[in-house]
Amino acid sequence: MAIVREKGYTHWNGQLVERRFPWAPIARTGVRLAFRKKGFKFVFAMAFMPSFVFLVTLYISERLEDFKGFVQGNTALLNVDPNYFKLFLTSGFVLFSLLLVLVFAAAGLIAEDLKHNSLQLYFARPIGKKDYILGKMSVVAFFILILVALPWLLLVVFKLIFAGNFKFFLQYPWLPLSILGYSLLLTVFLGCYVLLLSAVSRNTRYVIVLIFGVYYFSSVLAEILKKAFGSPYMALFSIPADLQQAGAALFGQKLPLAIPAFWSFLILAGICVLAAAVLNRKIRSVEVIK
Amino acid sequence: MSIEVKDLSFRYGKIVALDGVTMRLGEGAVGLLGPNGAGKSTLLRILLGFLVPERGEGTVLDYDIRRDQAMIRRSVGYMPESDCFIAGMDAVTFTSYFGELSGMPRQEAMKRAHEVLFYVGLGEARYRLLDTYSAGMKQRLKLAQALVHDPKILFLDEPTSNLDPTGRAEILELIRDISVHKSIQVLLSSHILDDIESLCETVVILNKGRLAAEGRMADLRAIHYSLYELRIKGDGSAFRKDLESAGSRVEEMEDGLIKIYMPEGADRMDLFRAAARTGVQMRYFVKSRTSLEDLFAGVVGVD
Repeated sequence: MAIVREKGYTHWNGQLVERRFPWAPIARTGVRLAFRKKGFKFVFAMAFMPSFVFLVTLYISERLEDFKGFVQGNTALLNVDPNYFKLFLTSGFVLFSLLLVLVFAAAGLIAEDLKHNSLQLYFARPIGKKDYILGKMSVVAFFILILVALPWLLLVVFKLIFAGNFKFFLQYPWLPLSILGYSLLLTVFLGCYVLLLSAVSRNTRYVIVLIFGVYYFSSVLAEILKKAFGSPYMALFSIPADLQQAGAALFGQKLPLAIPAFWSFLILAGICVLAAAVLNRKIRSVEVIK
Repeated sequence: MSIEVKDLSFRYGKIVALDGVTMRLGEGAVGLLGPNGAGKSTLLRILLGFLVPERGEGTVLDYDIRRDQAMIRRSVGYMPESDCFIAGMDAVTFTSYFGELSGMPRQEAMKRAHEVLFYVGLGEARYRLLDTYSAGMKQRLKLAQALVHDPKILFLDEPTSNLDPTGRAEILELIRDISVHKSIQVLLSSHILDDIESLCETVVILNKGRLAAEGRMADLRAIHYSLYELRIKGDGSAFRKDLESAGSRVEEMEDGLIKIYMPEGADRMDLFRAAARTGVQMRYFVKSRTSLEDLFAGVVGVD
């Protein structure tokens, strides 16, 4: 009979440990795999572009005298306040770049495991469904926190450095909390949204189409319904509008929709609940074919 | 006893997958045999805690299958039947990843991954992307991930499926080495009789979710019936009825061969008497060697 072993088997003398965070290896591996994907590093770097543009804006806003010719009297555009932060953070480009990063890094998180039957390998280990989902969610959280929370909190610090005083912070001491709150909202919502769609198909390409399709089609649908029924509440069907509404509420700014922000939070929470239900159903160690 | 189950039952909706299975398995390689749909994979999945039994109880290495699932999964290495890997990973990362998930420290898992990959013969290919692996390599990779945390028991679900003869021989050789020389107990589920026959000292045969036979291979081979193969000309159905009324079991093969399982103590001349009574001509008659295949056919009723 053929002998394939190149070295003999030796027993391992170590002790298996019970991890405090059993999901940590899943999160770490998910992040590492994302960076191995072709083109991801470029997309990831490009996602910092809004923060960089904002940094330049901050600098110019504090050095108006030096950039007089460049600004040409449009100083109103450089009035950096919480509303300015909100406008940038809830802008279509920032949300699009986040989605683009997540499409690369997270669209296949569950879809690939379903496609390649690897769930049973996970659950043959001492980890549960909760650990698995937390691990995958942590991959999304890593990218959102690193693209939103970290740079935008640093931008507040840069604003203080460029200004050379604490006036801005004393004026808006709650701004860092708003940034953190908005980052958390994006983390939880986009995490649930992306994982939900990743769990409904085994094909990552379909998941990518779904991530962009549902996101942008919801806006189209909301517009159609708004026109048909004439009710501002129809705007709630739009995911980008809900995120912008919730963002405005968290930054304490004027709401873009003429309805209470509570409804947008409710819609976003509803999608998260739906995601939890779908994930609970789809993520199983054994697929039972009926 | 390393594995003990009592009155274990499970159903997928209305389909009964396991029906009151009771067994005790000791050391060494144990073969879990049965036709497709017999409940072999379901049994393995219940032992791993993937499925919760509807009724019954059981232990694996004295850990309760309902309560101590985490401890069981630490002590057991599982090689599933279907192809499974993680796209975009190489074999070292994959194997060490599952070592880590089993509870190994990261560095140790990485070191150990290299060792087991060399052991299963993937040493040279350990940095290659798994997407490019052949069926045989994927099979060995599954074995590597099952071994990485040095389990006490290995659950192998159809380890030779989709393999060419060489690949099959290689995997069987590895399993033999593990079970004979490395003091790791192996529970091998398969419907390929040769695999079980060549590796296992003990066999458990499941059929339609029930325990059909259990015991040491040597004891089971001393079967309590005689097997004859014959070809006839004439009314086979009357001949068959005659033999069945005398307690024999009759199986007709596609090529016209008839296998007769006669109960212990029965006289083979009864076959000729039955042929004479029913007016059939016997064109071929031979007493067959009793193999695992015969035992399997005897208890399961399939060819």
